[in-house]
Amino acid sequence: MSFAHSPSVDESVDHLFRRHAGRMVSVLTRIFGFEKLDLIEDAVQDALVTALRKWPYTGMPDNPTAWLIQVSKNRVLDHLRANKKFQTTEEDLETVSNAIAADAGEVYFSNEVSEDQLRMIFACCHPVISPDSQVALTLKTVCGFNIPEIARAFLSTDYSIAKLISRAKQRLRLHGVRLGMPLPGELKERLESVLKVLYLMFNEGYTASAGDELIRKDLCFEAIRLCESLAKHPVTMSPEVHALATLFLAQAARFSTRCDNTGELLLLSEQDRSLWDEQMMDRAMQHFRLSASGETLSDYHLEAEIAVCHTFAKNYAATDWHNILECYDALQKRRFSPVVELNRIVVLAEIEGAEKGLIELENFRQNYDLNGSYLLDLTEAHFLSETGAHAQAAESYTKALNITENRSIRRFLEKKINELKASFAS
Amino acid sequence: MPQYLLLLSHEDPTNFSDLSPEEVQKIVEEYKSWRGKIQADGTYVGSNKLRDESGKSLLKPNGQLRITDGPFVEAKEVIGGYFLVSAADYDQAVKIAEGCPHLNYGGRIELREVENVG
Repeated sequence: MSFAHSPSVDESVDHLFRRHAGRMVSVLTRIFGFEKLDLIEDAVQDALVTALRKWPYTGMPDNPTAWLIQVSKNRVLDHLRANKKFQTTEEDLETVSNAIAADAGEVYFSNEVSEDQLRMIFACCHPVISPDSQVALTLKTVCGFNIPEIARAFLSTDYSIAKLISRAKQRLRLHGVRLGMPLPGELKERLESVLKVLYLMFNEGYTASAGDELIRKDLCFEAIRLCESLAKHPVTMSPEVHALATLFLAQAARFSTRCDNTGELLLLSEQDRSLWDEQMMDRAMQHFRLSASGETLSDYHLEAEIAVCHTFAKNYAATDWHNILECYDALQKRRFSPVVELNRIVVLAEIEGAEKGLIELENFRQNYDLNGSYLLDLTEAHFLSETGAHAQAAESYTKALNITENRSIRRFLEKKINELKASFAS
Repeated sequence: MPQYLLLLSHEDPTNFSDLSPEEVQKIVEEYKSWRGKIQADGTYVGSNKLRDESGKSLLKPNGQLRITDGPFVEAKEVIGGYFLVSAADYDQAVKIAEGCPHLNYGGRIELREVENVG
C-alpha cells in the first residue's frame, strides 16, 4: 500500500480519529458482514489505543492516517486468524488488504464519507429498527461516536444506549441486512428513512437543550457532512436531499450567535447577524438552488425555505414574514403539528400584531395540548409584553419557568422576568 | 547540562480502551503539544516506548545465572516508556515533567538525574 501520491495530511486534522473509526468499521463490515461488526469495532478501537500508547514516545508518524489504517487492518486480521469460528482463508485476508488499500486511496483524505460508509448508513437506517436506534447506531458505526458520547448527546444513560444499540444490531442480523446501496425500486423509501435520521440527528444537536453543548454541535456537523455526501452521490442526490442540506446549513450558520458570551440564550431579533457563518450561508444557498430543480416539494423544502428567510434577511425587521407564513400554512396542510402551529401563530403575530397572536393562542389552547410544554406560556408572555401588559407577561414567564428544567431556558426566562419587573417598578 | 530520565509508569495498561476515538485524539494531541514544546526549547533528548510485556529478570545467586520472567517488583505498575531531557537542575526537570499529560491520566513519573561522568 503506497501513500506517496496522497496529499499531505495535517496532523491535527479535526476529528481524525473519529473519522478513521467510522471509515474503517464501514469498509471492514462490507467485507466481513454484519455478523462480525462487534469484532471489527473492537479491532479499530484497539488500533486507536495502540496509537495513543505509542505516539507519545515516538511522536506522530508522518502520515498518521496511513499508520492507523495499517494497524487497524492488522488487528482485524489477527483477530480473524485467531478466531477459528470465522474460518477465514488467506484469500479472504488478501481481499481485506486490497479493499482497505483501495478505500484509502480513494477518499480517505477528504472530509467526505466513503462509498462504504454510505452503504453502512443505509444499513443503520434500515426500517426494521426504530428511528431512535437508527440514529444511535449511525452515530456509533458510521460516525465513530462511542456509547457515553451518544448518551451525553441524548441525555440518556450509557446502559440504555448500549442496550438500544445491541438490540438494533441483533435485529439487523436477524433480518439478514446486508451492506449495500438500496435497489432502485426501494431507494425512495430507504432514502426517506436516512433523511429522517439525519433530521433527528441535527435537531437533537440543534435544539437548545440540557445535553453537553460540544457533543451536540458535533451531532449537527455530522448530520451536515452526511447530508452533503448524499447530495453529491449520483445514486442518492435528489432535490429533497438538497432541501435538507439547505435547512441544516441555514440554521447552523447562526450557531455562534445563539448565546451571548455568558451562555445566555439570545432571540433571533437580538443576534448579531454580521457574525453568521458566510461560508455555510453560501453552501446553504447552493443547495437551496439545487433543491428547486425537481417537481417534488417535501416538508424539508418548506422548512428549508423558512430557515433561508430567517438567515438571509438583512435584519430582523426585514424578515419576509409573509413568505414564512405561507410556508407554515403549506406545512400545516401537508401534515398538521401543534408545535408548527405555535410557530405559525408567532409569525402571524409578526404580521398582524401581538393582539391577533393572543386571540389565536387562546384558540390554540382550547384545541391542542403541548403536553405541558413551556413553549405555550413563553409565547403568551412574549405577546403580552409586546402589548404592554408587563405584569401579566411576567406571570406567564413565571408559569413557563415552573414547568421547564432546562437550565439555559430557565436562565433566559429569569432574565425576561427581571427585565419586566424592572420596567413596571420604574 | 545535566540529563534527567523520566520513567512513565501506570497501573493498568488497558485503561484507555473505554475512550472514544475523539477522546483518544484529544490525549494524543496533548502529548503532541507537550512534546513539541520540549523539542522546541531544546530540553528533549530522546524517548522510547517499552514493549507491553513483563520482560526478563536476571540474577546470579551463587554464580548460577537465573532468568525469570518479570515483573521485577511486585508492584502492579508497568513502565510504559521513558523520556530523556536536559535540565539545569531538579527544579527545572520537575517543571518539564509536570507538563507531561501522563500525569493527567492516572500515570506516575519517576524522575532520576543521570550521573554526570567526568
